Amino acid sequence: MDRSQYAELFLAESREHLSTVNQLLLEWERDPQASEPVQGIFRAVHTIKGMAATMGYGKVADLAHRTENLLDLLRRGDLSATDEILELLFQSADSLDRAVEASVAGREADLDVSAVVRAVDQAATAYEQMVPRPAKARPSAPVVAAPPGVGRRVQVVLRQETPLKGARAILILRRVEALGTLFAVEPAPVALEAEGFDGRFAFRIEAAVSDEVIERTIREAGDVERVELVAEEAAAPRPEAAGGPARHIRVDLRRLDALMNRIGELVTSRDRLAALSTQRADPELEDLAVGISRLSGELQEEIIQARMTPVWQVFDRFPRLVRDLARRLGKQIAFRVAGKEIELDRAILEEIGDALVHLLRNAVDHGIESPDERTALGKPPEGVIELSAARERATVAIRVQDDGRGIDREKVLAKAKARGLVEPSTETLTDDLLVRVLARSGFTTAARVSDVSGRGVGVDVVADRVRALGGAVEVQSRPGEGTTFTLRLPTTLAIVRALITRVGEERYALPITHVAETLDLDAAAVTQVDGRDAMTLREAVVPLVHLRQLLEVSGEEPARRPVIVLQIGERRTGLVVDRLVGQQEIVVKTITPLTGMLPIFSGATILSEGLPVLILDAGALV
Amino acid sequence: MSHTVLVCDDAIFMRTMISDILSEAGYEVVGEAETGAQAVELYRQLKPDLVTMDIVMPDVGGIDAVREIVKIDPDARVLMCSAMGQQALVVEAIQAGAKDFVVKPFQPSRVLEAVQRVLG
Repeated sequence: MDRSQYAELFLAESREHLSTVNQLLLEWERDPQASEPVQGIFRAVHTIKGMAATMGYGKVADLAHRTENLLDLLRRGDLSATDEILELLFQSADSLDRAVEASVAGREADLDVSAVVRAVDQAATAYEQMVPRPAKARPSAPVVAAPPGVGRRVQVVLRQETPLKGARAILILRRVEALGTLFAVEPAPVALEAEGFDGRFAFRIEAAVSDEVIERTIREAGDVERVELVAEEAAAPRPEAAGGPARHIRVDLRRLDALMNRIGELVTSRDRLAALSTQRADPELEDLAVGISRLSGELQEEIIQARMTPVWQVFDRFPRLVRDLARRLGKQIAFRVAGKEIELDRAILEEIGDALVHLLRNAVDHGIESPDERTALGKPPEGVIELSAARERATVAIRVQDDGRGIDREKVLAKAKARGLVEPSTETLTDDLLVRVLARSGFTTAARVSDVSGRGVGVDVVADRVRALGGAVEVQSRPGEGTTFTLRLPTTLAIVRALITRVGEERYALPITHVAETLDLDAAAVTQVDGRDAMTLREAVVPLVHLRQLLEVSGEEPARRPVIVLQIGERRTGLVVDRLVGQQEIVVKTITPLTGMLPIFSGATILSEGLPVLILDAGALV
Repeated sequence: MSHTVLVCDDAIFMRTMISDILSEAGYEVVGEAETGAQAVELYRQLKPDLVTMDIVMPDVGGIDAVREIVKIDPDARVLMCSAMGQQALVVEAIQAGAKDFVVKPFQPSRVLEAVQRVLG
């Protein structure tokens, strides 16, 4: 067998299992009496062991095997989950993680896991020595393998509208469990609770009851669309092809990216074809254009859906991070996560992972006070950090909120004045101004450089990353009450709907993500605020930016000009252009900015007419 | 004889709504509890045929209350009332012995279906 082709699969699955292990360890640490976490951890480690052994990764398999032994003692209650044991399991998970990565990268030889192996063995043998027992007292195969051909195969499809499909499926499994023995539940019970579960599952049951009883028991559990029972022959291990439980395959992300790019180009061609067919006034050509337009639209929708990934895939690694940091810094922190099911384009999700690490580190290190300090302030000694995702209008808002000391505005202001980032006359930093200052490259107020944060990279890195994705960063901070950072992101990257505008002879695209409205610039409503143009919009003053002036375009301004009102969170700016040309779906291509180029562009695209244009960055204009 | 129900939710609004749905359908709401601890106590006294139980409540939460009630009466029929996104909690409640669940916002028909399933 050529194993190399399985290496990526092994890596992806092992990472998932290790992420589960970490989460369950955290749960367990919160409640050492709970029995569920150890079961889940045991299953995950067991799976990794099996996969690693198949791949020939001896060190991973060995460490997993020894960890599994220790877990077995724990889950049978022979050992209890003390702090030391939990810490050891955390270490073991880390070592497994490193060992998995190193093995796949072909560096297994350089790997030394002997220290952890020894520690794990010691913990396990400490018990064995304490209680002498016959050597073969324990069953060696804890996971029930399904004997081939035993029992009936049952496929269940839940109704489409079923809420909490996973919980319903588990309820059904519990009910049928009362009838007999279940084997080969697919997807695995843990996966039923995952967000992607679509309500189709299957299992085998060996029970001394009729098909009707099984079917009725399942239907009585509610929300069941379809039940199918198949008496299974030993010779036919995989009877179902289509229509069975949803099957997943792993696809190399680069393939999805390539597909997305091709479809992007197709969308551009489609728009050109549509324009052309209208010009030619040929009904047959128009029909064809409409058909292709519909198909490419559907194709685009499919691929966008295929790329959507729930945020938990990134969020799930943070509880561990926050816990470890809090321990190191002697802080007490309750970490909460909300909106884990919200979906984002995979590429965006991957990009913001590091940004969130920065914000969480800041929150733990600088935000949350020490327990003593909090107690002295009359706050509960345990601080709260919440990471949440929510859909807000066309964007997804990801927030990192802490109830710590808040940002020291005076210090930031003094520093900003010293660096000439704000007018010397500025007396207070509004939240708007605060985020602008913090987002400046290299800005930090940390007096000392800790190894946790405050290395001079922080909010600026976050802001750059988010802006490159076409999003924006907001901050709200109250002294003594805490700080909230909000990252506003588009849900998908590659293809966005954009407003095409014209200034002078050039066209510019503006993604509609942050466009609140467009209106005619009414000359009468323009006023001056602090020497800048502004307009009054429903009794609010909105500052104006003249794109013509910004781009230093010469020539006659048209008499009637439109204003595009851009809105990011609470902030608004009116962008004055010469003309609105229309709306179009554009394929975003990143560009390397030339020296001297205004920092107001986030990329470039090719319009359906074949014209290359620059994409304006709303985040830089508001 | 109509079935008796104990309604447990920390929000008066939810208790009223659930009680109304059930009363209109001919069930007899014999008690309302606003905390898990109260629900356990009332269960002991009233021995209702069914308990509707909110998951998230201050003090003793719904899942702990289910555990306690099942200890008192292994055949207790508890119907969990959950919000969307509480799947993990619902699963925990099922493992603790809850017989079924409904998801907010409530549609009377779905609540009654679930009640019938549990009492079935």
